[in-house]
Amino acid sequence: MDRNQISKWIKSPVKMGHKYSLHAVYFCTGCGIIEIPPSITARWDAERFGVIPVATSRQANLFLITGYVSLKTLKAIIRTYEQMAEPKFTVGFGSCPINGGMYWDSYNTIKHLDKYIPVDGWIAGCMPRPEAIFVAVTHLWTLIDREMADGYKRYRKNYKFYRSNQEKLYGKLEWPPLFQKDGAK
Amino acid sequence: MNHSMKNQLLSLFTEIQIDIKKDNEMIINAAKNAIIGILSFCKSKGYEHLALVSCVDWIEQKKFELVYILSPYPEQEPEFSKKEKTNIILKTRIDREQPEIVSVINIFKNAEPYEREIHELFGINFNGHPRLTPLFLERTYKIPPFRKNFDTREYVKKVFDEIPFIDKKEASK
Repeated sequence: MDRNQISKWIKSPVKMGHKYSLHAVYFCTGCGIIEIPPSITARWDAERFGVIPVATSRQANLFLITGYVSLKTLKAIIRTYEQMAEPKFTVGFGSCPINGGMYWDSYNTIKHLDKYIPVDGWIAGCMPRPEAIFVAVTHLWTLIDREMADGYKRYRKNYKFYRSNQEKLYGKLEWPPLFQKDGAK
Repeated sequence: MNHSMKNQLLSLFTEIQIDIKKDNEMIINAAKNAIIGILSFCKSKGYEHLALVSCVDWIEQKKFELVYILSPYPEQEPEFSKKEKTNIILKTRIDREQPEIVSVINIFKNAEPYEREIHELFGINFNGHPRLTPLFLERTYKIPPFRKNFDTREYVKKVFDEIPFIDKKEASK
């Protein structure tokens, strides 16, 4: 353990715990998922950074959206995101979730992911290298330290806005709202 | 084998045009009514695998072209070595205004998802198909999205660009 961080550990152990045990939900979206197996296995070994993939969204707190998001995938993404336990952090990986990327005029791909769920950070590139994931993870540590990775709080506070955006795409959603009103505890 | 089959097909069916451009590829252009007969004939000759049903939109000629690709299983084709795989490509053109064609499920069962997909993306009706329900798409489209006159840019502007961004600074207050 880094001795410089002992004061931080004593001050807010929960935050440090969140920082160094990021459990990524193993959710395959688009082509970027091809970068995930090498980065979690021996070649790049994400466990050095405390990132480990888990089987279900109930156990996870890091959500990597790896690639283009079609309308059908977005439904699964919203449901997965709502199932994750707080605190949860979302990172968009690749240029397609940022602004559509090469699918900028596709009829079936959403262009901006952060209209539908809150996103804490982006990794630009097509494709980003696995090293970029670790750069993003270290940035995410800084954000968690400064309490700037507040996507899940934004989702609670502005749930109606996000839900209305989701309903604009799909009409009526098949599942009930996660929160009954904005800012629910 | 291809040449003997070509002669047999020419003697059996009228309104049929056959090209053999490569040794292992036979292209049949046929009328809409003849495809059931041609497909069942090819199946009886060992071409038992329907590899693909596809569709091309010829907007200037106001036609849809349906493409059926058949190939045999090598074990059942003793005349050919296993390296060589012969294909039959059957093409038929149908009217673009009222696109209708008979389904080939009774001959090849695996045509079902292909025909569903073509129905969804091109809006072609397959008579005799048991369920032409949505397969891939989540939204309903006025013009099926794979037709050439579907303007994707306009659609994106109308649907995806209209959805508002959230103001991050306001949101996290």
